[in-house]
Amino acid sequence: MNRTLIYLAMAGVAVVLQTVLLPVLLQGYHKPDLLLILVVYLGLHEESRRGGLLVYLLGWAYDGVAGGFPGLNGFVLFAVFLAVRGIVSRVNTESSPLLLMLVVAGTALQFVMLAFALDFFSQTTGVWSQMAWQMPVQLLLNFIAALVLLRLSVWLQRTFMPRKTLPGLRKLDSRYES
Amino acid sequence: MWEWWHKNRPLLLGGVLLLAALLWYSVNLRQQDETNFLEGVVLRATGPIQSGLDQMINGAADLWGRYLYLIETAEDNRQLIEENRTLRAVLTASDEVRLENQRLRLLLDFKEAQEIATLPALVIAEDASSWFRTVTIDKGSEHGVTEGLPVVVAEGVVGRVVRSSPRYSRVLLITDASSAVASLLQNNRARGVCRGQGEQLVFDFVLRQEEAKIGDRVVTSGMGGVFPKGLVIGKIKSVVRQKFGLFQEIEVAPSVDFSHLEEVLVLLRSPQ
Repeated sequence: MNRTLIYLAMAGVAVVLQTVLLPVLLQGYHKPDLLLILVVYLGLHEESRRGGLLVYLLGWAYDGVAGGFPGLNGFVLFAVFLAVRGIVSRVNTESSPLLLMLVVAGTALQFVMLAFALDFFSQTTGVWSQMAWQMPVQLLLNFIAALVLLRLSVWLQRTFMPRKTLPGLRKLDSRYES
Repeated sequence: MWEWWHKNRPLLLGGVLLLAALLWYSVNLRQQDETNFLEGVVLRATGPIQSGLDQMINGAADLWGRYLYLIETAEDNRQLIEENRTLRAVLTASDEVRLENQRLRLLLDFKEAQEIATLPALVIAEDASSWFRTVTIDKGSEHGVTEGLPVVVAEGVVGRVVRSSPRYSRVLLITDASSAVASLLQNNRARGVCRGQGEQLVFDFVLRQEEAKIGDRVVTSGMGGVFPKGLVIGKIKSVVRQKFGLFQEIEVAPSVDFSHLEEVLVLLRSPQ
């Protein structure tokens, strides 16, 4: 329960950052998708049932601040979560480069699922080409944001909870240590 | 069979759940124009935080711009004085036109069109995702803002309200891919539909034989039932006439600078 509340709080902070602070700092429409990074992390380190339910709920709540299609982000983020869960037994989930790689792959999957759901089910037109133009910038932003978050979480953990460990950050290699 | 099921159970279960999520999204598209419970809760919960943070950021930006970073102020001042002189000349000329218009109206017994009530609102947040184009404003159903109301600024059309909670609402910008506005060319009244393309617009369904030039102004036609007639959408940026086909390919640059939206007006009464 405690962990779920922490995840919800993190999602809340991500939403506020994405809607108010990052648009001012980055001066444009593009901003990193911090919630997607959280979903990838949940996929790597949370149990399927609890994590899946939480991700779907977060996706529904995300619709309140992103786009105008109820259930769209729930579907897309749930797909990203399931894809990560699908490979989790075959990889070393403690590897930080893996998290970065999965964030990039998750962004690509998010693009495909969003474009598919919008193109086939809603009346939105030209969505594939329009989103494809934005895709490289979004990939780069999400990658940089994941890298910064990794460094920041290691620093926070060492500064404020030196005796505790964060799942997925136990065996960090020196590149991500601050 | 049992072994196969046991082995592939997570995959099948995941597939079924994903399909159910897609189905639920598809079913919910019917209620796309209404604010659901969870969206209302999110708007109510995030609105005050967004508003507070927005005020803090604006305060910091004001402090920096007005009191600390004054390098360009002298040059700005010189330019503004010059601009002021030019505008005074334009104003004098337009006074003549206004008076002439008044006289002609009297002659024609022209009746003033009924004015639409407006509500000023502050833009407090942008869309959380890079893929969509919406903004959050600090007015909601308590102030009379409901889904479907048009939102404008002095330069032209901004979008329409798609979600509203008691104190906050979300506005779908005309540049969003899911936005379509019934429009016409101001010069020759050629009709079409302006669709969002992220940062630009495309003016669809304009017949090949219609004359459309770069720089021509595109305005709302009032046909869609959301926007009143005659609001400026933008200017034509490019026109492509293929050898075959019924329609032209027209790109429109919006007249509103969506990256610097701060204050907007909600038109409280729909044209219908």
